[in-house]
Amino acid sequence: MNKELYDLVAWTVKTAISAGAAECRAGVSSERFVDISYRDRKPENIKEATTKQLGIEVFVNGRYSIQTTSDLRKTALKDFISSAIATTKLLAEDPFRNLPDSKYYKGRAKVDLEVLDPAYKKLTPADRHNWVKAIEDAALAAGGEKVVSVTASEYDSHDELLLMSSNGFEGYQESTYYQAGAQMTVQDEGDRRPMGFDYAASVIKKNMPSPEEIGASAAKRTLNLLGGKKLKTETLPIIIENRNVSRLLGGFLAAMNGSSIQQKRSFLADKKGKKIGSKHFTIIDDPFVKGGMGSRLFDMDGFALKKRVMVDAGVLKEFFVDWYYSRKLGWEPTTRGPANLIIPPGKRSVKEIMKDLGRGIFITGFIGGNSNSTTGDASIGITGQLFENGKLVQAVAEMNIADNHLKIWNRLVEVANDPWIYSSQRMPSLVFTDVVVSGL
Amino acid sequence: MKKISRRSFIKTAASAAAVSIAAPVVLPRGWYALAGAEKPGYFEREFGMTDSLSQKVLAEALSKGGDFADLYFEHTITNSLSLEDGKVNRAYSDVSLGVGIRTVKGDQVGYGFTQELAEESMMNAASTAATIASGKAGKSAGKFTWLKMKNYYPLKKLLTSVPLESKLPLVQSANDKCFALSPQVVKVNAAFYDQQKRILVVTSDGTKAEDLQPRNYLYASVTAEKDGRRERAGWNIGGRWDFSFYTQDVVDEITKMAVDRTLVLFKAVQPPAGEMPVVLGPGVTAVLLHEAIGHGMEADFNRKKLSTYSTMIGRQVAEPFVTIIDDGTMPNYLGSINVDDEGTPGQRTVLVDKGILTSYMYDKISARHYKVNSSGNGRRQSYQHFIQPRMRNTIMLAGPATPKDVIKNVKKGIYVQDVSNGQVKIGEGDFAFFVSQGKMVENGKLTAPIKDINIMGNGPKMLKNTTMLANDFEMNKGGGGACGKGGQAVPCGFGQPTCLVKSMTVGGVKR
Repeated sequence: MNKELYDLVAWTVKTAISAGAAECRAGVSSERFVDISYRDRKPENIKEATTKQLGIEVFVNGRYSIQTTSDLRKTALKDFISSAIATTKLLAEDPFRNLPDSKYYKGRAKVDLEVLDPAYKKLTPADRHNWVKAIEDAALAAGGEKVVSVTASEYDSHDELLLMSSNGFEGYQESTYYQAGAQMTVQDEGDRRPMGFDYAASVIKKNMPSPEEIGASAAKRTLNLLGGKKLKTETLPIIIENRNVSRLLGGFLAAMNGSSIQQKRSFLADKKGKKIGSKHFTIIDDPFVKGGMGSRLFDMDGFALKKRVMVDAGVLKEFFVDWYYSRKLGWEPTTRGPANLIIPPGKRSVKEIMKDLGRGIFITGFIGGNSNSTTGDASIGITGQLFENGKLVQAVAEMNIADNHLKIWNRLVEVANDPWIYSSQRMPSLVFTDVVVSGL
Repeated sequence: MKKISRRSFIKTAASAAAVSIAAPVVLPRGWYALAGAEKPGYFEREFGMTDSLSQKVLAEALSKGGDFADLYFEHTITNSLSLEDGKVNRAYSDVSLGVGIRTVKGDQVGYGFTQELAEESMMNAASTAATIASGKAGKSAGKFTWLKMKNYYPLKKLLTSVPLESKLPLVQSANDKCFALSPQVVKVNAAFYDQQKRILVVTSDGTKAEDLQPRNYLYASVTAEKDGRRERAGWNIGGRWDFSFYTQDVVDEITKMAVDRTLVLFKAVQPPAGEMPVVLGPGVTAVLLHEAIGHGMEADFNRKKLSTYSTMIGRQVAEPFVTIIDDGTMPNYLGSINVDDEGTPGQRTVLVDKGILTSYMYDKISARHYKVNSSGNGRRQSYQHFIQPRMRNTIMLAGPATPKDVIKNVKKGIYVQDVSNGQVKIGEGDFAFFVSQGKMVENGKLTAPIKDINIMGNGPKMLKNTTMLANDFEMNKGGGGACGKGGQAVPCGFGQPTCLVKSMTVGGVKR
């Protein structure tokens, strides 16, 4: 526990209460980071700083406001808190606004999430530069003559979060974060210069791929974009690559939270306990994954977190309902949002699956697109590869898929064995049949 | 590359509920002054930032021999006030204070920032920035001269000093009006957002510039129910306005648009998939101009030869009736700036002149690369961020046709009325934008409403395929939009007339 942060937050809560708040929750997040990128074998950008942000939620006579600031001078903070309270008093009363029942704070898991890398402190500026240089070298070597430009980069940080409420909640989390990647542009026919990238992120450095792997993979992914063409509109099976699944899933998740449901903008509102996808569609929210990017013991309401099956073999089991919307809905709360989302991996590799599918599209990137959380309608641009009998035969670009979430997940026919572990959404590649891929 | 999950968890942590919403903070000292009457020197008065302190920090930033350095002080107050379930019951506000220090060596950048405007913290950040170079100390200015600037967004009163009691009825009235417009309306969300950004740029070549950049909008979103179905749409109007802009007429316009646009969706379908002509209605559809063409003309992408436009300067890229401009001087529009974030005055830059590509959008680094003057496009999200060349208000000028003529020319295609978001791949020029609302065009007439489809195209191809422009130029009036690039969001404006693109891929459904 960082005493300086603890004292600051405790002082904030105390000051708010003595200035007239009935209840208060305050938190501070602090981050020390380094951000380095290289281009043309020299540093392009070097950035380093510490940020702190204090947030305070004020409850006065059933009225509520949220205030955040980076101006942490005590005199400025005192004014900040008293004006926050003055502002809050002018708002309309909201009978559903109060701090959670403290029973939800209890039972916090006693596990080490392993999100703080003991090696972080030993990281030197030279280590960082060498890391980025090695990524750049590998990308350039693997990219060959087609390369127009490569930018390699790393970002690392040490993060702290402290949250406290006037009805007895205290929570602290300290973690580290690493991200490294390369972005490459290559010359294609005419004026086309496809840009591709690869990156990985983790809270523990030793869980990251080697810089050589990252660089080479960035090159491979970019070269795969060469010759990208728009094909004829066709109904085909598709495989969405593991790392891109979260982009599609996002449209589904947007309809799973309490505010969407209570505000009547969720296509899932009346689907609890019902079948909304195929038997392959299971989503688990697991806050306790060791070294997981979204791992945590409590949420921002202070709730002690639990592992939850959100969708079980195609049946919708739970929503993400925070304290406030649970009161508005008259439901039991769960948690505000996902920690680590997992679709349990299947047995076969993408390669094996591809062989059985005949002709289809392997989607390796999305562009634009959106999803309507009220109706479930979604439409999104894709890039990837056309495959035939297990072989990639043609890069595709400027194509699109469109469907409704209440239909798409019923077309999920297989889950691959390759979860993408460099994200809080640990998704394997997913296989869907009968998808209209539009182009020419 | 995106910065992902873990960081966003930490970032949203302190603000508890992630989304918008807010109320004004009454701040001590100086906030009640009229903007127009204010003397320069805000950061000196409020935070003791004297010229001699700036000199010292700049000297440290150049202590290892950078070419130039600059300081970017920022004090931003953001407020929002929001309504849910009939009551204005949530306020959010944020205060952001800090200084970013940049050292430039060739095209390399060292950057440090601090939230504490104390000498020691600033010197530390400056020495971080300095490490991009590794030679002898460079030269820094002995004194600074205020930059002469025009004001494209004068205020009668600071929005932070408009009392909450004046803002509350605005939001409440948006709610009441939406419900009054149709019995099918079941939920309304409304909000008033205002931001006041004070900046001071001090450069090692002796310029200093101070600006107060307001940004505000009123927003309403509506969910309606009909025959067991639900639809939702919203509308907002705003920009860099004085509070007096927000009259009952503005409330009426926003609420009518929000309700009409929601109700029409009950009749709307996803159109058939495939390649077809696309008519872009005037105004907000210029998101496509921004994505398909604008980004590719930002000079950093060209300097590094990443953009598909990097070999096209001087080339005919469109029909002679196409002129595209990036304009930072349009009064009160979202992308207007009196000065950019590295001390270059706000200005107007012609990108495509009668079909010929004439200029990119430059910041100082890329201007040095191309040996031209910066076009005043050096912008950043905040003191925590690097400068990048960014768009301001990007517009395509009106053409000779009438909107009717344009539609008449299409046998089978779609008409785009509203766009919610877009994205571009700079190197390929491939872009996508999401059509939230439009109509089918059949035999030269607008027919069935359509919704929720992604449209794909290629920037240079689209420019060449822009075969008709109408005489109905319109600016997007929204105040809520922001453009994202390299993890930074900055407010941008856009506008265009009705426009016919011969062919694009419509990501619809199979018929």
